[in-house]
Amino acid sequence: MTGKAGSGGPCPPPSQDQSATKQPPAGGAAPAIGEPPAGGSPGSGDADIGDGAATVTAVRAGSGHVVTALAGLREPIVLILLLIAFFTWISGKPLDGLLMLVVGMSLAWDTGRRRRQGGAPEGRLAGDSASGFGAANQDEARGVGQATRLDAPEAAARWRRRLVVLAWLAGGALYAALVGSFSRYSWPATVPVAVLGAAVVVAGWRGPRHSRPAPAKLPATGLALWGVVLVAGCLWELSSLFQQPTMTTDSYAHPTISTLTDPVLGTWAGRSIFLAAWLGLGWFLVDR
Amino acid sequence: MNSHDVTVLGYLVILAAGIVLQLLATRTRAPIPSLGKVFSWAMGTRARRIGVLVAWAWVGLHFFAR
Repeated sequence: MTGKAGSGGPCPPPSQDQSATKQPPAGGAAPAIGEPPAGGSPGSGDADIGDGAATVTAVRAGSGHVVTALAGLREPIVLILLLIAFFTWISGKPLDGLLMLVVGMSLAWDTGRRRRQGGAPEGRLAGDSASGFGAANQDEARGVGQATRLDAPEAAARWRRRLVVLAWLAGGALYAALVGSFSRYSWPATVPVAVLGAAVVVAGWRGPRHSRPAPAKLPATGLALWGVVLVAGCLWELSSLFQQPTMTTDSYAHPTISTLTDPVLGTWAGRSIFLAAWLGLGWFLVDR
Repeated sequence: MNSHDVTVLGYLVILAAGIVLQLLATRTRAPIPSLGKVFSWAMGTRARRIGVLVAWAWVGLHFFAR
């Protein structure tokens, strides 16, 4: 990933890297002129110097991206994502593992880039709400503004909001019923779930849907208690996974949550209800 | 009680602990935030927001995708 970014990938290099890449022609290439090129012919001196400068630039840019990504590894979320990617991969779910790996590495690079740029806050930035979830918020705000200017009755706005919610509910129900009709682990089930999951993550990357004021600081003890419950759940699941005969063979004696839910998810109704709950949870999260 | 029962009981205990915490948060004055507030807090920075959303996406993929 860093290699791609270094070779002119979609991600623009950080400003520090840009300054680093611009240095060689002024300062970095000068020593190279004084040093005779090893094995180079006198006539090809300019070309060799150009190649050398380009190589130095590429190496510096590449190492800069690596350093950026490594700096992002200090973010605990990145480490958690990479750990989940590893365990998912070895338990025979390469697509899940790939998703976690890609997101984890992207987040590492993004976090490292922000830190190197002077620790720009990554919270509810003004720029964050310019797109992604924020775009919906801006549309909402624009709509509210227009409604105020036009002095439209509040009831009409409320009706419109209800219609939008109903449309989302109908779409969600259709999605759950349709995708639930496909058997698990088939491509027709994989594609819509993967596309929706990726779309939500990408939209979330751009910013929160609502630009609310920063929430008040939560009590550390209460937060820690929720953390204990979450970690205990993960460790219990992990211990069951490790006590299976193999990573890809279920165990009756030590069932994972997947094993326990297999009978429910073996039916169309069960799959549809599960998908509806998954969509509801997704909406709940996106709406935070 | 065999190991299957113990394993299932473990999951139920953890689930019950979450429900108790939510009840304490919403029905008492204990210094415990509700799950909704915890998620709002978690969505407050990009790293945490992406972590939560990718965990949600992972659940869907884990149960349905190849």
